[in-house]
Amino acid sequence: MIKPKTSESQLASVAMRKGSATLRFLLPVIVILCVLLLWFFISYINLFPAYALPSPVAVLKSFKEEMLAGRLVNDIIASLWRVAVGFVIAATFGIPVGLWLGQHLYAKQAFVPMLNFFRFLSPLAWIPFAILWFHIGDKPAIFLLFMATFFPLALATMSAVATIPSIYFRVAKDYNYKGIELLTKVTFPAVLPQVITALRVSYGIAWVVIVAAEMVGCQDGLGYGIWEARNGLRLDSAVCYMIVIGVLGMGIDRLLAQLTKLPNVRWGYER
Amino acid sequence: MKLSITGIIIGVILTLTVLGLLRYRPWNSNGAINARDVIHEGSNKKAQRELTVGYLPVTCHLTCPVTDFASKTTETNTNFNSRVFSDFPTVVSALEAKQVQATFMIVPLAMKLREQGVPVKICYLGHRDGSEIVVGKNSRIRSLVDLKGKKVAIPSLYSNQHFVIHKLMEDHGMKPEDITFIVLPPPDMPTSLAAGAIDGYFVGEPFCAKAELDGIGRILYYARDVWPNFISCALVVHEDLIRDNPEIVQDLVRGIAESGKWAETHRAEAAKLAAPYYRQDQKVLNYVLTADPKRVSYLKLTPIDEDLQQIQDQGIKMGLLTKRIPMNELIDRDFVPKVITTAPIDAAKIPEPKEVKTH
Repeated sequence: MIKPKTSESQLASVAMRKGSATLRFLLPVIVILCVLLLWFFISYINLFPAYALPSPVAVLKSFKEEMLAGRLVNDIIASLWRVAVGFVIAATFGIPVGLWLGQHLYAKQAFVPMLNFFRFLSPLAWIPFAILWFHIGDKPAIFLLFMATFFPLALATMSAVATIPSIYFRVAKDYNYKGIELLTKVTFPAVLPQVITALRVSYGIAWVVIVAAEMVGCQDGLGYGIWEARNGLRLDSAVCYMIVIGVLGMGIDRLLAQLTKLPNVRWGYER
Repeated sequence: MKLSITGIIIGVILTLTVLGLLRYRPWNSNGAINARDVIHEGSNKKAQRELTVGYLPVTCHLTCPVTDFASKTTETNTNFNSRVFSDFPTVVSALEAKQVQATFMIVPLAMKLREQGVPVKICYLGHRDGSEIVVGKNSRIRSLVDLKGKKVAIPSLYSNQHFVIHKLMEDHGMKPEDITFIVLPPPDMPTSLAAGAIDGYFVGEPFCAKAELDGIGRILYYARDVWPNFISCALVVHEDLIRDNPEIVQDLVRGIAESGKWAETHRAEAAKLAAPYYRQDQKVLNYVLTADPKRVSYLKLTPIDEDLQQIQDQGIKMGLLTKRIPMNELIDRDFVPKVITTAPIDAAKIPEPKEVKTH
């Protein structure tokens, strides 16, 4: 008698999950459509003059224009390239530094105030130096992205190491894990979930910063596109760029979220 | 979906490679070609030299894209590439880093740079007049005195607009603190005025015309009525370029001078030529250049000691400039041609604009 009940409840839960999957897709679409409709309506009844709020039609037209001119694609590639390089550099340095600091108490005590100091320094404050040191183009933007993401990544990794239950290390000691082995077999897998969250958060910072960073010292990129649209008194084109930035940012975050499906990471979540 | 650490690393490397290839296009002989930089493809085979000249999309710098166009459609010895910037701090950094060795910039800023030891010289001027004080269309402001206690936007502390309005306030017996000055990016000025965030602004074209055309603002003063032969911007050249490649500077100043002469008499064509460079509505530019010839003028652009001395004196008086730089150190007139001819631009070669839409 127990068996059918289980399968029934299983079925029910599957159905519920299925239902929620459809909803999960539908609900955000409805919200987005509502916002679009509201925007259309506001611009249709001319609540704000056209120079203060471009209409969806004008934005769509400028989207087509930017696409055809090849500028939009060029800008997207430029921004993606800068974010990718800056972010990868920050991760390759930030995560190991965080792991090392997390395991060495004195180093941690010595460096944390300095790291915190730089973390709270807005990367945009570096703009004048970025241009002076790295001139104009990709390099200053990549430098700014590094400054924006390295410190939060290193600090988040470091504090993640601090949260590992000490029993792990005691067991590791029993297995005679030391040095690299300890790092790859215990420490790193244990902090991976937090590191991935930190990666997602700092990627968010990077994507926000790239737009601001490109407004000066660059000659292309999505942020520059907004600046140029302002200079050209073309707010419709600025909105078009804003939409592209938001959509791309969202898309890449979904991709990063896939990282949580790593088998090693699951272990971390289930511990 | 199965993911592994190795898979992630491969994925990262793959993404970087693809993006890098797309970004730098090694198959393209020009290397990292920027879709934005090429406005008019060059076909000038005679040119053996090249120079990049910086400018901002304001009418004061109009001769820069005109020279760019001229160097590509006529036979000149030097090919000029105009490079658009969106703000002056970046221009300054680019100049200090010698990424551009010649650029247009507001005159007091050039003086400030010289003061700080950046070896730059003013070789020519951008244009005369071309700036206005704009106030709200329906405001009751009829003269400068009415702006007492109000907020006025200026493009930079080191702009001649800022200097001149102080001079004007003195003439009206006002104290410097009678008006609150706010530094705003010029593109934001018309909208800020419309929103009531500021009561007026003093800036170069086309940001004054924009407010007029949109029905937001009206002109309170033309710069020329306040300060005859008003100068906003100048062609600034790094001394290293003057020392190492004087013949390029010679070509540049001649090109800019001839372009100015051409623009003065071919205003509608100049608007059409510049619109794609500026990425601005041709109508606005056309309005600035043709509606009233007294708005902007591309005549008398050889820098004169007295004009610049006047600006420097005002800057020192306001405490923004601290060092009195001898004019012969600041100005280099050696490259200004004795006879300025009109740039031989073939108006038929100016491409027809793509569909320009109005809001």
